[in-house]
Amino acid sequence: MIQVTLETREGWQVAVVAGRADAEAADDLESALRTAIDQHPKVAADFRSLDYISSAGLRAVLQAARAARLRGGEFAVCALSDPVRKVFTMSGMHHVLRIYGELPC
Amino acid sequence: MLEEVVLLAVDEKTGGLRSMREFGTAYALVGAVFFDLSLARRIDTGTEEIRIVDRTPTGNATLDRVLAEMAGKPHLTTVRQWIEEIFLRRDDLEGQALASLIRQGILRHELSKRLWIIDVERFPLVNNVPQQHVKVRLAQAILSDAIPDTRDIILVSIAEPCGLLGYILSGVELAARRQRIQTLCNLETISRKVTAAIAGLDANLHHGVTRMM
Repeated sequence: MIQVTLETREGWQVAVVAGRADAEAADDLESALRTAIDQHPKVAADFRSLDYISSAGLRAVLQAARAARLRGGEFAVCALSDPVRKVFTMSGMHHVLRIYGELPC
Repeated sequence: MLEEVVLLAVDEKTGGLRSMREFGTAYALVGAVFFDLSLARRIDTGTEEIRIVDRTPTGNATLDRVLAEMAGKPHLTTVRQWIEEIFLRRDDLEGQALASLIRQGILRHELSKRLWIIDVERFPLVNNVPQQHVKVRLAQAILSDAIPDTRDIILVSIAEPCGLLGYILSGVELAARRQRIQTLCNLETISRKVTAAIAGLDANLHHGVTRMM
């Protein structure tokens, strides 16, 4: 189960993501992030309330970031929860994504 | 992914299967099966664990057999355990992928004799477009700095540990893009475990050779 809420703050579209980003939720997550990317040139995904991310969830985030770059937009991942940070670190996601400790806005 | 890995291993000049009897490629085939199941949303992986999320058959006989086997062995819970389990059936995976590529008119099967006794199997390309397409996707994923499509990330990450990238890019190109290749390989749990399994096998072989000396 995943919940994505979109908010506009100081020039950024913030996607607040809560729950579990697993195979069941990956399509919904990618779709919500892509919607934000389609609507705004600067998108930040706030992961402080994301409890778990699987390989399917990571792929969804990566493909959203890809879509943002293809559009010439900005996509940042912010405020990772501890379990999600562990997965990001193990996968080396910092090599391909912009990851912030806190929201840029 | 399974058919794409096998296609990459076909020598476009001779129809021989490059490295196909070596364990590196065998592990890559096993990884490809799990990636196919993952992309079909039948399984999902964490940093270590693997779980079935949907038992509905995919329609692909190879994938459905592995899926049924996974459902019947719930005591195996990690990616590494399942890689080793399916590794035991690696020849089936290769044969089924080759048969599918022949049915699709991409390869043909040739059987000849060496020294009048030894059977030699070859799989010449009938249609080289799919193989070229896979090679171009791999080269673009490695040489560009863009985030690749999911399938291309996966393809790089299973072609690398079995040495198939050397047939696509020059040694100079591979050396120059080493960091990029490592980054793409590291993104996926299944690839990390395939690489670890190959490293473990190499270490065991080395240990065995050292003990024999």
